[in-house]
Amino acid sequence: MGHHSNWPEWVYVGIVIALMVWVGAEAWNAERLVEHIPADAEVIKVTGQQWFWSFEHEDGTKEIGELHVKVGKAYKFEIMSKDVNHSFNIHDYVVLLDAIPGRVNTVWFAPMEVGEHDIQCREYCGLIHYNMRGKLIVEEAEPSS
Amino acid sequence: MVLELQKPRPIWQIMFSTHHTDVGLLYLITSLAFLFLGGTLALAIRAELFLPGSQIIADSMTFNRMFTVHGTTLIFLFILPFASAVGNYLVPIMVRYKDMAYPKLNAIAFWMIPPAGALIWLGFADFTWYATPPYSIISAPGPAADMWIFGLKILGISSVLGAINFIVTILKCKHPDMSIGQVPLLAWSFLTSSLIVLVAIPTFAAALLMLLTDRLGVSGFFNPAMGGDPIAYAHLFWFTFHPEVYVLVIPAIGMMYEIIPRFSRKPIFSHSSGIFAFVLLSMVSFSSWAHHMYATGMSFTEKTVFMIGTLAAVPASAMHVFNFIATMWNGRIKFATPMMWAVGGIALFFSAGAGGVVNAAMPLDFQTHDSYWVVGHFHLFVMGTIAFGSIGFFYYIFPYVTGRMYNERMGQIHFILSFIGTVLVFFTQHVLGLYGMPRRVYDYPPIPEWITMNQIASVGAMVIGVSMVIFLINMIYSSGKGKLADTDDPFNLGGKYYYPFEAKNPHH
Amino acid sequence: MKSILGLFLVLAILVIIPAADYVFAAGDEPEGYIDRRVIIWNLFYRMMTVAFTVGAVVSGTIIWLCWRFRESNPKATPTPYEKEGVW
Repeated sequence: MGHHSNWPEWVYVGIVIALMVWVGAEAWNAERLVEHIPADAEVIKVTGQQWFWSFEHEDGTKEIGELHVKVGKAYKFEIMSKDVNHSFNIHDYVVLLDAIPGRVNTVWFAPMEVGEHDIQCREYCGLIHYNMRGKLIVEEAEPSS
Repeated sequence: MVLELQKPRPIWQIMFSTHHTDVGLLYLITSLAFLFLGGTLALAIRAELFLPGSQIIADSMTFNRMFTVHGTTLIFLFILPFASAVGNYLVPIMVRYKDMAYPKLNAIAFWMIPPAGALIWLGFADFTWYATPPYSIISAPGPAADMWIFGLKILGISSVLGAINFIVTILKCKHPDMSIGQVPLLAWSFLTSSLIVLVAIPTFAAALLMLLTDRLGVSGFFNPAMGGDPIAYAHLFWFTFHPEVYVLVIPAIGMMYEIIPRFSRKPIFSHSSGIFAFVLLSMVSFSSWAHHMYATGMSFTEKTVFMIGTLAAVPASAMHVFNFIATMWNGRIKFATPMMWAVGGIALFFSAGAGGVVNAAMPLDFQTHDSYWVVGHFHLFVMGTIAFGSIGFFYYIFPYVTGRMYNERMGQIHFILSFIGTVLVFFTQHVLGLYGMPRRVYDYPPIPEWITMNQIASVGAMVIGVSMVIFLINMIYSSGKGKLADTDDPFNLGGKYYYPFEAKNPHH
Repeated sequence: MKSILGLFLVLAILVIIPAADYVFAAGDEPEGYIDRRVIIWNLFYRMMTVAFTVGAVVSGTIIWLCWRFRESNPKATPTPYEKEGVW
């Protein structure tokens, strides 16, 4: 059987391993940066249930289906579910984390432009999973007086 | 070993037989029937998603049931039984034994498949093929859910029985003069995938039982209202099903190890590398399960560990690709239908793996989790690699089993259409996922880019559908009326169509 | 050989770009909050560059192999194993 030279295969495997190490290192670094939640992030409680999203701001304001935030501020979402698994997703801001009943998951972001973005559910939750949507509205910050 | 289609036997003789070729044939016919059933569901799903709004499916619950049964059918009732078909037919021949180690148990393992299939199809559950709680406990209506659970329980037992049979046959019943290193790579693929099954399946069997008792209300393993944790199910499920996807792919790669050297008119570049890569892959498959759970709220450290476990599997898979390329090098390749499927399968295997590496990078999961990227990614594996390898191997053994040749031109058209269709559907779905479209959705907002990509994907699916109709016609016509094949060398390669092995004491 | 060199070149560039970026970006954002979109999509584009480069090499190799070693190629020669008919 194979009395041929083996070195091409070893070089090839070496390159593949090197590539994987690079992927792992880059991903680890990016995740480290992304997961670092700023200390001054304002908490927004996000509740998913079949089949809509509701929000509660730090000052007690509640919203259903729509979320208003201010440009340039950091927000920390504390995500919960009332019934089955859902997944809170603002695709334009690459915010995604599951809403699991019985636990609170945390993810943060800081919107930099004014605009409107879609909120969707990214975990199958039954009949109206496909339409469990909402709107994120990023508004101008009030001028500080 | 020519099938009796030339001299038909009574059907009940085949049905009650325990001989490995008959059991293999039963698995083959059953798996192909479910291929067409599951594939039809896929066509319906793609037709519905052609445009926003309701097309041919009236309501979202029906749609949800269809994709659940589509996935469950093609994984458990096509891919696994097809692999069992090939294994049953050929493993005893490859190790020079008269039958499988436990012929009656073998037949029993097969006969569990039709009732399980009936349970799944008559139930038509809607909770996706993961059956994740709490939805599957509190929100999924019975009896569909319970029938699915029982169906999968039965299939799990059938898998384990089959695995035991393969392991004992290969390790204990092989010819005394055959060393384990001389066993053909296709048999090695069955050995390693069966070992994975033995370790991985019991975990899911436990999870299914716990899910059932939770549904009955007598336990609270996964139900938060009773103090349970849904994430526990996710761990149990993925601990089984990540290795399980390797159980799906390893036999298909084994089948490519049969086709590629034969049609290149050379032996495999490195038999020992192939064995090493199979063994390594099956071990490393256990180290990556929670990459499916990156979005559940795991800690940074947990995610890092599983990312490393995922990336560790890539070199083993890459070794197979190298082996195939090095085998074809300096060969004299005949691109008959089986070879086209095998080579197309390797190309798609590579793309699937490349997309998977991207997914494994933790922060990129925030973009792609539960979106159409994932759908495109895994379909490149199950369709692009596994179905391509399986279908190619089916063409390869067709003359062996039936004694007749299929129509070569139709076989090539089948391949070309399927390849184009597969690329159209699943490459497009990667981009669709990047644009944010979630998976498992009956309808979507009329975003222009989403509509265009869904339409491209649906057209691709129809192209695959057409190719499968050509396949069906070719199969049925050729098995009865095809040209008689030269069973020593049906593909006119110049070599022999068998497993070369010189026994020192040929008492067979 | 050239393809390996080319690959290493691409890799080197891909490592240097974000490193240089990081250095030059210090002090660019007034609020100091990192934009997760930029970090994630940047990583994605770099991964895609590598994936497509490697993909081009692998699929290019396979396509060339299929073309050069097809049996209908005028340059095709029988393999050493065809003499005995066993392989």
